[in-house]
Amino acid sequence: MENGAHDPLVPKIEVKNFSAFYGKTQALHNVDFTIFERKITAMIGPSGCGKSTFLRSLNRMNDFYQGFRVEGSATLDGEEIYSPTVNPVLIRQRVGMVFQKPNPFQKSIFENVAYGLRIQGVKSRSVLADIVEKSLKAAALWDEVKDRLNGSAFSLSGGQQQRLCIARALAVEPEVILLDEPASALDPISTARIEELMQDLKDRYTIAIVTHNMQQAARVSDRTAFFLDGTLVEVNDTTKIFTNPEDSRTEDYITGRFG
Amino acid sequence: MAENILPEKGLSSYRKVRNALLGSLTAVAFILAVTPLLAIVYIAYDRGKAALSLSFITTLPGGFPIGIEGGIANGIVGSLILILLASLLSVPVGIWAGLYLWDQSHTRMAKITRLLSDLLLGVPSVIWGVVGFFVFSTNTGFGFHWGFSGLAAGLTLGFIMIPIVTRVTEQALRDVPRSYIEGALALGASRFQVVRGLAIPAAITGIGTGILLGVLNVLGQTAPLIFTNYYNTGIPTSLVGSNGSVGDLAMQIFIYIHEPSKALHVKAMAAALVLTVIVLLLDMGIRLLAWGSRKYAQRMG
Ligand SMILES: Nc1ncnc2c1ncn2[C@@H]1O[C@H](COP(=O)(O)OP(=O)(O)O)[C@@H](O)[C@H]1O
Ligand SMILES: [Mg+2]
Repeated sequence: MENGAHDPLVPKIEVKNFSAFYGKTQALHNVDFTIFERKITAMIGPSGCGKSTFLRSLNRMNDFYQGFRVEGSATLDGEEIYSPTVNPVLIRQRVGMVFQKPNPFQKSIFENVAYGLRIQGVKSRSVLADIVEKSLKAAALWDEVKDRLNGSAFSLSGGQQQRLCIARALAVEPEVILLDEPASALDPISTARIEELMQDLKDRYTIAIVTHNMQQAARVSDRTAFFLDGTLVEVNDTTKIFTNPEDSRTEDYITGRFG
Repeated sequence: MAENILPEKGLSSYRKVRNALLGSLTAVAFILAVTPLLAIVYIAYDRGKAALSLSFITTLPGGFPIGIEGGIANGIVGSLILILLASLLSVPVGIWAGLYLWDQSHTRMAKITRLLSDLLLGVPSVIWGVVGFFVFSTNTGFGFHWGFSGLAAGLTLGFIMIPIVTRVTEQALRDVPRSYIEGALALGASRFQVVRGLAIPAAITGIGTGILLGVLNVLGQTAPLIFTNYYNTGIPTSLVGSNGSVGDLAMQIFIYIHEPSKALHVKAMAAALVLTVIVLLLDMGIRLLAWGSRKYAQRMG
């Protein structure tokens, strides 16, 4: 993909010997994994293998589940994400997230994008307007909504709502964006737009995407990780994973022999 | 618009019969649900219309037996005072408790609180009255010694209202989709910001319904008032002490109906009609407030 192959790989998130538990059930087993800066990392694997758990562990979104706990190490720029001195709110500002189902707020398009800034205390209308415009442009939604910023977010189509959620995440200027099956509820055309958008965004952001769809992983990502039953089976360059995987289980999965 | 969502043509006769049967059941259920309201309004109007006039709602009762002359201004003012006092206590406490139960829903403390709150919902109102009497009204022993007074009754009614507001608030918050809350948390919102800026506005219609249910319950109570306030034919200048009783529409109807006087029976029915109108106005008022605060929250962070 482009000249990306020649860039030096800079680790952004490093996960070592990482396990995650919901109460007594263990959802992740000793995962070792590095997400590199300004690369798109895809996570594939059958349903229930722990992809979402892994993704949500990276911005501490699992903290809200009763009885969730982790073992091992996960760092963001070398800083422990689960250190007791770290404020999870700040982690979530640096590591944004887009969910499977578009979940805009019951507010105007403008206020949806401005929300993250408002909660940080930004009040100036001009600053907000500026960032809202920039974020909507970055999410490739500006032209479609610039005339109705005060309209309800619910008046948008599903694909537009998902791009609005991406704009909303971009507005707080995260360093990493986590996408959990962001296109699985969308039609093919909206899906293609989201995939294009990811290519535009990867110049500035580190992106991790969970997807059910192996073609999507092959199309959009630089690196692909294959999860099975809570373990990371294999992670490598996407082309390598899809042409010449090292583990036979990976091969079985991508050739559709199970899952 | 499609004229008929369920196409009749092409249905087997079994399904036609079933459609007709379920359709009639629905109609019967609807009629059973609205008939009591129609009956109340019709009977109250038919029996009470002779007493209805503007002065009926603006003047105090007079004559002998008291009420033969004048209107029900004492009852209207008293009922509104009692609603206000009960709401001042129960709305903040009930919403706070509902928020707590929602936020901490799995903790042991929350489970105990929920159980106790539900137990309170089932306590007969006459028991509330007796306890209110011992805590607020009686002049001997422990308690506040406020006498039969508006404050004693208002707070007793407020305590009756708390579990209602609590329960409905918790349920309304539970109905806010989790994905919606997570969206805000993922943007770095604190729990407080999520609650204030998203969860409460999204649940506000439901919370409004809870307050309304509580208020309507309070409006219809008589048993607690018998022990904590009784009744006043005038408008008191104080809400505590021996002259602190307030009027109350439900009590007024109750008392008038028990008088052996045709004229007072007519007035009782007219008062019932006024009470129904007040319920309607409160309903619309609370809906309007909920709607307004939701609009407001949509503009703000
Ligand atoms: N909130 C939760 N509480 C308990 N178990 C959970 C929870 N979320 C996920 N799990 C379990 O963890 C495992 C991994 O789930 P998940 O990460 O959602 O998988 P995936 O996203 O790959 O489909 C599954 O067995 C699932 O049942
Ligand atoms: Mg998942």
